[in-house]
Amino acid sequence: MICQSCEKRQATTHIKTIVNGELKEFMLCPECAGRLGYGSLFTSFGPDLDRLFGGFMDSYTPQISGKRCPFCGSSFEDIAQSGKVGCSRCYEIFEEELMPSLQRIHGRTTHSGKLAKSAGKAVKLQSEIENYRKELENAIKTQEFEKAAQLRDKIRELQKKAEMEGEE
Amino acid sequence: MVADRIQPAKDLSDVVISTRIRFARNLNDYEFPCRLSVEKKCRVAAIVKAAALGNQNKYSGRFRYISMSELTQEEAVSLVERHLVSPEFISDRQGRGLLLIDNESVSIMINEEDHVRIQVIRPNLDLEGAFDLANIFDDILDEQLNFAFSDKLGYLTQCPTNIGTGMRASLLLHLPALKESGAMGKISASLSKLGFTIRGMYGEGNDPKGSVYQLSNQVTLGISEAEAIDNLRDITMQLIAQERSAREAMAENITILDGLYRSFGILRYAKILTNDECWKLLSDLRFGVEIGIFENIDYDTINRLMIEVQPATLMKNIGKKLPALERERIRAELIRTAIARPKVPASRRLE
Repeated sequence: MICQSCEKRQATTHIKTIVNGELKEFMLCPECAGRLGYGSLFTSFGPDLDRLFGGFMDSYTPQISGKRCPFCGSSFEDIAQSGKVGCSRCYEIFEEELMPSLQRIHGRTTHSGKLAKSAGKAVKLQSEIENYRKELENAIKTQEFEKAAQLRDKIRELQKKAEMEGEE
Repeated sequence: MVADRIQPAKDLSDVVISTRIRFARNLNDYEFPCRLSVEKKCRVAAIVKAAALGNQNKYSGRFRYISMSELTQEEAVSLVERHLVSPEFISDRQGRGLLLIDNESVSIMINEEDHVRIQVIRPNLDLEGAFDLANIFDDILDEQLNFAFSDKLGYLTQCPTNIGTGMRASLLLHLPALKESGAMGKISASLSKLGFTIRGMYGEGNDPKGSVYQLSNQVTLGISEAEAIDNLRDITMQLIAQERSAREAMAENITILDGLYRSFGILRYAKILTNDECWKLLSDLRFGVEIGIFENIDYDTINRLMIEVQPATLMKNIGKKLPALERERIRAELIRTAIARPKVPASRRLE
């Protein structure tokens, strides 16, 4: 499909937006999408993912192309072409292939922040220790030494627990 | 002095219109929406609905469930105009559901890009308030649903740009002076290097008609919710300072003032107004209030008008479909009424 704005280049981005009370859909090339302000992550993930996955696809080797996710049936080509991951299992199956893109998008590859109920025991414990550490820092800053001592003991106790669970 | 005329900055509402926090969540046992059949989408919608409404929590009675496929086109578009759902969400409404809390401050989109999108909107700058509220609904749903989560990658999302916290925090900002000064291109480029996105709302991104911009965090993996919010707030405070100083520089510029007064004249007296010209005019009105040349108009009124005059919302409030000309007439009337100067009390009126 040809870009509806410049009518020259190949359109790669599907834009959905509201114009004067009506839903409008446009097909744009990456240049026009950027020029018209649709290049950001908010309206459309298209152009960014073209860029994100684009470089990666060049170095893509066909040996692994037969691999499919057993749960949703996605291949890595499906994911790279659409910019959409098929299901939560895909992140495990295609971890190696996805990592460079995640690194490029976020600059980091390890989660920090809220944990779901389904998170593993070990990370929950680590996160608890981390929270107590922050409290400890604050207690030291405000010279609440008694509280700090209690927090230090609590952290030691949790660390011991984490070590023991790690050995199991 | 110019500075004396400018409304006292008790809060930041001269620049910040509203705050939004959005969490992206998915069910572990279903394919992501892009690979989900309509039948399975309906099942996901039923599960999420039950988790929000069925579970006895103090909010369960306050939510209403909307099956998107049952709405008229105007009702659906109005949801977008009110920022409650995305344009994407109404493009194909099959198998999609919306949970909406009574005052519309919390909306939960089901089967948009992810199975669950929790969104909280608060007026002015209130990142913590919005986050705390979103967190409550996330906890309620997490209790019932098996969210897709990896210890290493955090919350798993259909688009890898949302992975990790799955949180997008954004602010709606009115930046007429920075836009006028031509600085937005440079600002946008430097923000993107810092991991933020700024884009124009209403109209084409690089030349938004209403000078309203949405600023949001881009990075979601490896940075906690609290850090992302702190960073966003810091960068917003810098933008506010820049916008305010640009305003001060423009507040005595006769060409700018002339433009604002002309816009005010149109809003005061026009009999019909198109949606397109309205953006620019309402933005000018707000700009005038911000630099203190128009009185007796508060930001809440203007923020409300910016939404109420949009075509689908206007028709929804009237309760019927209207031809364009009739909409333009009502739009002009709504604005005239809202910005009419307060009547002079009878005792002070000259006979």
